[in-house]
Amino acid sequence: MSDDIILDIQHVTKEFPGVTALKDVSLRIRRGEIHGLCGENGAGKSTLVKILSGVYPYGQYEGRILYAGQELRLADGAIRQARALGIAVVYQELTLVPNMTVGENVFLGREPAEHGVINWAKVYADTAQILARYRLDVAPQAVVKTLGVGKMQMVEIARALSEDAKVLILDEPTSALTEAEIDKLMEILRGLKAHGVTCIYISHKLEEFFRITDSITVLRDGRAVTTQPTHQLSQERLVSYMVGREMTERFPKSRRQPGRVVLEVEDLHAEDPREPGRKVVNGVSFDLREGEILGIAGLMGSGRTELVTTLFGEFGRITAGRIKLDGREVHIQSAHDAILNGISLVPEDRKGQGLVLIQSILRNISLPNLDRFASLGRIDADAELRACTQQATELAIKAPSLQVPCYSLSGGNQQKVVIAKWLMSTPRVLIMDDPTRGIDVGAKFEIYKLMNELAEKGVAILMISSDLQEVLGMSDRIMVMYRNRSNGILDRSEATQERIMALATGIASAM
Amino acid sequence: MALSDAVRLARRNLQTYAIILALACIWVFFAFLTDGAYLSPQNFSNLFRQMTVTAFLGIGMVLVIVIGGIDLSVGKLAGFVSVVVAYFQAYVWTRILPTQPIVAATLSVFIGVAVGAAAGVVQGYIISYLKVPAFIVTLGGMFTFNGALLLVTQGRTIPANQPALAVIAQGYLPSTAGWVLACVIVALLYANMLRSRQTKRKYGFELPSLSLDLATTTFFALLVVVYVFIVNLYNGLQTPVLLLALATLILAYVADNTRFGRYCYAVGGNYEAARLSGINIRQLVFMVFVLMGLMSGIAGVMLASYVGYGTIAAGTGYELDAIASAILGGTSPLGGVGTIFGALIGALIMSSLSNGLQLLNVQPAWQYVLKGVVLVLAVLADVSFKKK
Repeated sequence: MSDDIILDIQHVTKEFPGVTALKDVSLRIRRGEIHGLCGENGAGKSTLVKILSGVYPYGQYEGRILYAGQELRLADGAIRQARALGIAVVYQELTLVPNMTVGENVFLGREPAEHGVINWAKVYADTAQILARYRLDVAPQAVVKTLGVGKMQMVEIARALSEDAKVLILDEPTSALTEAEIDKLMEILRGLKAHGVTCIYISHKLEEFFRITDSITVLRDGRAVTTQPTHQLSQERLVSYMVGREMTERFPKSRRQPGRVVLEVEDLHAEDPREPGRKVVNGVSFDLREGEILGIAGLMGSGRTELVTTLFGEFGRITAGRIKLDGREVHIQSAHDAILNGISLVPEDRKGQGLVLIQSILRNISLPNLDRFASLGRIDADAELRACTQQATELAIKAPSLQVPCYSLSGGNQQKVVIAKWLMSTPRVLIMDDPTRGIDVGAKFEIYKLMNELAEKGVAILMISSDLQEVLGMSDRIMVMYRNRSNGILDRSEATQERIMALATGIASAM
Repeated sequence: MALSDAVRLARRNLQTYAIILALACIWVFFAFLTDGAYLSPQNFSNLFRQMTVTAFLGIGMVLVIVIGGIDLSVGKLAGFVSVVVAYFQAYVWTRILPTQPIVAATLSVFIGVAVGAAAGVVQGYIISYLKVPAFIVTLGGMFTFNGALLLVTQGRTIPANQPALAVIAQGYLPSTAGWVLACVIVALLYANMLRSRQTKRKYGFELPSLSLDLATTTFFALLVVVYVFIVNLYNGLQTPVLLLALATLILAYVADNTRFGRYCYAVGGNYEAARLSGINIRQLVFMVFVLMGLMSGIAGVMLASYVGYGTIAAGTGYELDAIASAILGGTSPLGGVGTIFGALIGALIMSSLSNGLQLLNVQPAWQYVLKGVVLVLAVLADVSFKKK
């Protein structure tokens, strides 16, 4: 293997308002190697990928990137430019047009044409040639939506290769694949390497790095912590690099006393209602007490959100197992049922699922609570205003008035509006899906305080979090999810970042 | 103080004012071209009467578009209702209730509204519970109602000019009654202003200065007084306009002050957030289409009464006028935003254009061209305003 460097990233820093996503990152990738990139959620992997692919163009970051010895200067809004230069990304969300054939997708946007008429024979012949060269087992004429996820991924790879990709970035390629499909992907990657293609491999599943990569770079909090040849590393060492930092005083103290059990989930199984047979919850059991915060940790795609939306009656179809509230079995079919049963959900995507952004704070807070103010369908505007004003004051929502639209608020205040809306219905079980994602440290602290207050009042809180420190700092117990099932529940006293990571990556399983 | 308040208020309601301004410009323009004939009491009175049928459809269309839907069937549904009403008036009641014209007309009204509502139930059910896109269902409805209309008329024009029915869309109130009504409305306007100030003060909301509030309320009060004055110079307050005003007030109240209305805006503003807030979206969509059917039924009765006949071309193209009225009035084609009052002004703009061009003896083809241009220009202006 040659020691010739294809990508030389030098002191790259990328800042967003309030957050530094990458801090002085330097790393070198050799031509023809498979280079692993690992780190926790939010460590800066995606930001680095977006810089390399031109989503964040030249000039929007500090530092230099040399590509095959030349400085990489990708223009604004020219994502195709990176592809033309030979840097291609295969994203975890597939970007194919489902109703088109494999060939049409591979050549989408650059169909070979004479006088504007597409030469279909050439499209399919070239596609077949690429597929054959890299041993991708897909028919060029197949319609993409009829293929499984694994094959779709092959089509993505074929599309990148058809543009003569020299560097192929794979962003969590295995998150939706079965074991057999993963094996096939590994085989393909070895084939690419033999053809001299360089790969940057991003994954949350640590064992994959040891199966396929030549060297690994660990990112943590936007910094490149280390780059080492894979054979010098072990999974345990990798985990300690990923989390290795001191816990600071970021979490308010709480004196709460968990009471009796409110919610019991017994060996819950559920499948995707749109894709029967695809398991979205695959054996989860836990109980939740009054005044307790149960953290749910796990990597992206481990099924955390699917679990809580299923509990809320809005996603999975339950195929086995039971949900009990106060010892009685409940059948929650919709958000409305959940609310009536005293369960509230602060959803993952604040803007997409939590708020009607174009509407006022007042209207957002009262939306799920209009029953309380309405008689015969007519809303008592005074009562509504009184209750919402009180709720907004309690949560210290900072806004000129309750009449301002939610899009004008900061992320932290938006999140408080979502919480306010759900607290007004005085839930007994409050589910919070990544409640502090994308908000600044000060606002986070306020939300933590609020959660503690609620727990002290006896509300049972189920908190999903992608931030390990947050999980450790806020939870009484922590359930770690791996592949849509619960891979162990740790008590706060026995939990460490390393133990959680080990459970979340499937290295360990709790006895 | 008052000035900065006024500026802030103006900015917040830019779109509403822009459309009213556009309406004023259109009126001045035609008044100028027709040497004032356009704004003569008679034409002014007719102008408002002419808009009523499409306005009933337009104000109903607002909620349909707000929830992210569309209804292409309303024009032909109203047309179908109008011939059903004419059929009963001409062929049924004359046989079984020949001496009871008022009872007969009342029954016709109920039948017409019921037919509209029933059509709304069927279309709403297919859209919400059977999940066929509204565009397709109502496109099918448009064809179906057109066919049904032709079956009822058998290609003939059916008379519906009985006085008891005609009074609905062609009647006028005596001038004294008009003035009494005007006084009541003005009193209500001021009472409402005071009540709203009280509520705002109670909750420490930003309170506009009293002079500004007085000025706005007086402005609207003056509009009412001037309107009644002008129409009284002709025949008096027009019953169809009165009924339209009533329907507008009710719908506007429903949109702003009921759970149903709030849910419509929430679903159109963010479907996911509304779903996760526990709103029964299917039921809501169903209700909106039933309401639209009901409004189409009312519009159909109005149409029969207004024209005095059930004709084979009844309601042709009204759905497009209704959609254009809603959009002109500030309803977002993407859903989530729109006001009932806006659609009313939108309908008035559309009828002001038609009326003015008719008065100038411009051939009807140009009316379509102008309506189309005005609609696109209005939305273009809105889009570029919002960018700034």
